[in-house]
This record gives sequence, structure tokens and C-alpha cells, in this order.
Amino acid sequence: MNMLTVQDLRKIFGKFEAVKGVSFAVEKGESYGLLGPNGAGKSTTINMITGLFPPTSGEIHIKDIDVVKNQKQAQKWIGVVPQEIALYQSMSARENLKFWGRMYDLSGSALEKSVDQVLEIIGLSERAKDKVETFSGGMKRRVNIGAAILHKPELLIMDEPTVGIDPQSRNHILETVKRLNNEGMTIIYTSHYMEEVEYLCERIGIVDHGELIASGTLSELRETIGDHSKIILAMDKERFNPEQITESLTTFFSDKDFQIQDQQVMVFHKEPQLILTDFIQSVTKTGAKITSVDIVEPNLESVFLHLTGRNLRD
Amino acid sequence: MKFLWLAWKDLLLIARDKKAFLTLILMPLLLIAILGSALGNMMKEDEDISIKKFTLGVVNLDQGQLSKVLTEEVFSKSLSKQIQVKYYQEDELNKKIKDHKLTVGIIIQDDFTASLMSGEETKVKLLSVPDTVINATIVQNVIEQFSRSIPIEAVVSQMAQPVQTGNQGGIMQEGYGKKPLLNETTIDAKTKPVSSFQYYAAAMGVMFLLMTVVQGVSTMILEKEQDVFNRLLLTNLTYPNYLLGKMLGLMIICLLQVFIIIVGTSLIFGVDWGSSVSGIVIMTFAFVVNASGLGVLAGSFIKTEKSFNVAGMFGTQIMAALGGSMVPLYVFPNWVVFITKFLPNGLALQTYLDLMSGATVSKILPAIAGSIGLGLFFFAIGLIRLSWERRGKYA
Repeated sequence: MNMLTVQDLRKIFGKFEAVKGVSFAVEKGESYGLLGPNGAGKSTTINMITGLFPPTSGEIHIKDIDVVKNQKQAQKWIGVVPQEIALYQSMSARENLKFWGRMYDLSGSALEKSVDQVLEIIGLSERAKDKVETFSGGMKRRVNIGAAILHKPELLIMDEPTVGIDPQSRNHILETVKRLNNEGMTIIYTSHYMEEVEYLCERIGIVDHGELIASGTLSELRETIGDHSKIILAMDKERFNPEQITESLTTFFSDKDFQIQDQQVMVFHKEPQLILTDFIQSVTKTGAKITSVDIVEPNLESVFLHLTGRNLRD
Repeated sequence: MKFLWLAWKDLLLIARDKKAFLTLILMPLLLIAILGSALGNMMKEDEDISIKKFTLGVVNLDQGQLSKVLTEEVFSKSLSKQIQVKYYQEDELNKKIKDHKLTVGIIIQDDFTASLMSGEETKVKLLSVPDTVINATIVQNVIEQFSRSIPIEAVVSQMAQPVQTGNQGGIMQEGYGKKPLLNETTIDAKTKPVSSFQYYAAAMGVMFLLMTVVQGVSTMILEKEQDVFNRLLLTNLTYPNYLLGKMLGLMIICLLQVFIIIVGTSLIFGVDWGSSVSGIVIMTFAFVVNASGLGVLAGSFIKTEKSFNVAGMFGTQIMAALGGSMVPLYVFPNWVVFITKFLPNGLALQTYLDLMSGATVSKILPAIAGSIGLGLFFFAIGLIRLSWERRGKYA
């Protein structure tokens, strides 16, 4: 059963088409990642799914409810973690959670119980009475998530929930999301951090320039680039000559199999250990000095690079 | 019921916001202190300083001698250093007073001499504008003094020469001296003059309330900027609930502030806000509805705090100036005064002045209805705007 179905979704602001006919479906209990660079159209897509503003055209169904026509009814099933910290800074964590719980129609002992549970999930029970403004960025992000799960939504939509926080808090958030998903909550997770999406999501959609350019499991996406690993040689700037290196590499590799960027030379191959020696020799005989060697297994970054010709964080 | 929690949350945030709390509580108290030191001295000067010469407008409908004695002998000659007398037709005088071209005028009725001579009641209509209490009091006292001296003067005059009265036969009738010979009335018999201190207590009070509304609305706009508004819309909160919650929070804060100003100026400086407590309470409520409605309307239109700060500052200053908080209302032409009734503060100030002059609740009912009506109208427009914004192009 699909928890979410999006069909041919479009959004036009003036003359700018932010979302260009996006379609995908998310099954109940699944964790689905939307990966793409900043400005790709992820947040606009999310805002339409949550009913924050209507699409120019297309359909969105949560369960069987049409979000465009029955926005408030559909919103009962979803929890949304916005990209920004949408909390009241001069109120404590508990006060914030109680307020947001009331906005979701919780009251009395059910509200108190839910707030206590959420504080435990986000690991802030001991800081519950402290004002949010005294929290670190990571702790604020955790309260931001907590406010979205008080009413136990079936679908949790998270829009870049780890932007600008320390690794420890990020790990805590990822573990929390994993736990919620394991408990049966459907997750839609948008990010431009590929490692987060790889870790959390069973299926991934890659968005660029308002279009869903690829969708599938991680292994399905890897197959689109032929499962090639990447060998990266970093060079010293002084003796780095791209023309000579290009000339030298063409004796061993085709143009498609290598790239030169900044002071880095990259080669793509299914079995990198077989070509590593020839690759290094081809580069060093031009006089270049290698400062590091790195072998990268195929990942979403290389998939994105393959599909768009750009890095995710460009 | 979610609007109640929204209002409660806003009150909690205001209570914890030191800057906002100072504006709400400390500034009105400071205002009272400034009023006390500045206008208090002015009031003392009002009592002690020599009176500047002023013009008294006279409409004399009486053909008898006594009205001529009063106007020509008493006002024109005996009080020539203080009063210049000018004669008008009744309509002309009314207009002059209404336009504040004259501060005091009297209309002597056609039976003035006859009534005085026969010991019957007569009326001299005393017209004055607010804030000219001294001039009006001088004229009133002179007329009272004149009326009291009439029995003696009349007898003396009767003995010296016949007085033309229309009742040539009788000088005084029985019972003369038991009844008052003269009744003065101001424009409204129950109207009391409003002092400078009273005027500015009300004027500053309504201006401060506008500032409080601006403060409240800026938090509403800040919510929009910080994504909290969007998050609220993703809960089960509806637009009417949202706007109602915002307006209720604003109203409670405003009511608290007006309460502090009214009670503070009354208790500390003895400002008389009028005898109608219910009138003050109801008008204050109506004014707060009106101002808060305008506030949420502004909050529903403006998206960024930066643009609101500019609009809020200019808007408040312009409204305060037009509404009579900076210069007295009577310096404006009548049509401007009428138009300012569509401003929450202008209508409130004029109604507070009426109450201070002795108006009752029944007399200010149109102002109350207008004020609440405008507030609800502003609220409705704000609601339509929010709904339209979502359907339209919000990004």
C-alpha cells in the first residue's frame, strides 16, 4: 500500500518552473530519500506534499486523501521537520513540545505522556526545562524533530534536518530517524548529504533542476554508472601540468575513463587494483608529484556526477 | 480552542521579552512621570498666569436694556482689558465656535431682560471649545455676578429711568429672589471642559497603545520569517484560529497597558477620565478591538520584519499626528477631524474626550459600534488575505 503518491507534480513561480513533472510513490513503512543539490526543487516538492502551498498542476495523495483538496485531513497523518529551526527560542523544550502538541489537538495526560516520550526519544529529558535559546544547534534540531512526532504521524517528512550541526548531534538524529523507521514510521528524507541518504533510505530519488532524474535502491542507482570505482590522485601544485598528464593517460585510457580537476586526476574502473600501477606511472613520468592516492567505491556522489556532470555540492 | 493556546503562548513570549515588557509596563509609567513634570507645571501656570485678552462672540436676541448693559457696559467697557466683544448672528457664532475661530461665545435669549425683571428663569447659552476652561469660566462668572446684582441694579435703574422690558408695569414680582434669575448653559448642559492634562493623558495613552500593537505585530511577522508560521499551518490550526489567537493575544496586552495608563494617571495625578466608568471600560475594549484588528491586518499583509519596521514607524507617527496625539484636535479643520474618526486612535481620543466632558455610555454608542465594527472589518480583510495568499503564489 502506498503511503504517498505523487503524480506529474509541477510548480511555477512567475516564469520560473521550480518543479517539472515529478512523480514517485512511497510505500508504508519505507524510508525514501530525496537527494539533490541546493536549489534542485526538493523543498518546493516537500512544501507541496505537506500542503503548505498548492501545486500548479499534478496530484498528491497521502493514503487515499487528495492533499490539494483535503489539505487539513491529509495533514493529520503527517509530521514535518522543517529545514529551519521553527521553535520559540524563549520557551523551554517542554513548553515548546506542549505547545506544538496542543496544535495537533493533544491535551491532558495524552499530551504529557507524548511529550515525555518524545523528550526521551530525542535525548533531552534532562534539559527539558531549559530554554531552547540556551541549546546548541544540534539540540535545537532534535527539538525541531520532536515537535513533528508528538502526534505519532504515519508519515514523517524531514527537510534537510541536519544542516549546520556537529557530527555527534548528526549521528544522534540519524539514529533517531532509523529508530522511528524501524518502529513502522514512513520517512521521506531530503538532503544534499549523500552519506545520510545512503545510510537511512531504502530507495532514493535524485532531483536536479526541478526534475527527478533517477530513482531506485542504492544498488540500482550504482548500476547506472556500471559499478565503477574511482581512483583519485592528488597533486602538488608546482609540478602539475594537465596537458602533459592528459597526453600520458591517453596511452592507457579512453577520454571517458579519466577526469582532471583542480590538482586532482581521477580514473574510473571496475577493478581499480589492476590499473593502479599503470595509472600512477603515467602521471609521475610527467614530473608531477603525487601527494595522496584514494580509491572510492561507487556511491551516490559518483551517480550524481555521472547523471549531471556536476558534483552534488557544486 | 487552539486560538486560546496561541494567545497564551504570545503572552508568555511577551512576558519573557524584556524589551517588549519594558515598552508595555515601564514606558507608560514613564509617560505618566513626564506628563506629571511637564504638563503638571503647565497646569499650575494655567492657574497663576495673567489671562490673555480674548474675544467673546455675542448673539443678542434680546431687545431689552439689560442685555445691552451686560454686553456693552460690563463686557466691552468694564472688562475691556481682558475681553473684546464681537457681535454675530446665531448661525455665524455657532460656526465660529465649531471651527475654533472663537473660543467662547454667548447667546442671549430674546426674553433675557423681561425674564430677569420678572424673576423668571432665562438662559444665556454659553458656547466654548474644549481646553479653554479659563476663558469660559471668566465669562460664566461675569454672567453669574451680573444676574445676582440685577435686583439692586434694576431697582436703581427703575428709579432713575424706565426700563424697556415689554412688561412695563412690573419691576419685580412676588417670589423674586427665591428663584435663580439666570441659568447659564454651555453647548451641552452636562459638558465639562477638558484640561490640558486630561487631553494629553488620553492622547499619549492611545499613541502608546499603537506602539504596543506595532510591537505585537512585529512578533507575528517574525514568526513568518522564522518558519514558525509555516509550521503552524502544517498542524490542525486553521487560518481563522490563527488570526483569532493573534488578535486575542494582542488585545490582552493592549488592555493591560491601557489599564495601567488610566489607573496610573488617575491615581498618581488625579486625571479625571470622566464619571462613566462603564463608558471608559467599553470604549477601551472597543478601541483595543479596533487597533488589534488593524494590527493583524498589517501582520497578514507584511512578510518581512524589515519592511514592517519602516511601515510601522511611519504609520504610527502619522496616525498619532492625525489622531491628535501630537497637536490638539481643534487645530485641524472639521473635515480632518471627521476623517480621523476612521483611525482607531483618532476615534478613541475623541471619545475619551467626550467621556471626560461628561458624556454617558448612550452618547458614545455610535463610537463604540464604529470602533468594534472597524476592528472586525480589519480582521476579516486579514483573514481573506491569508487564505488568498496560500491559494495564490506563496513560495
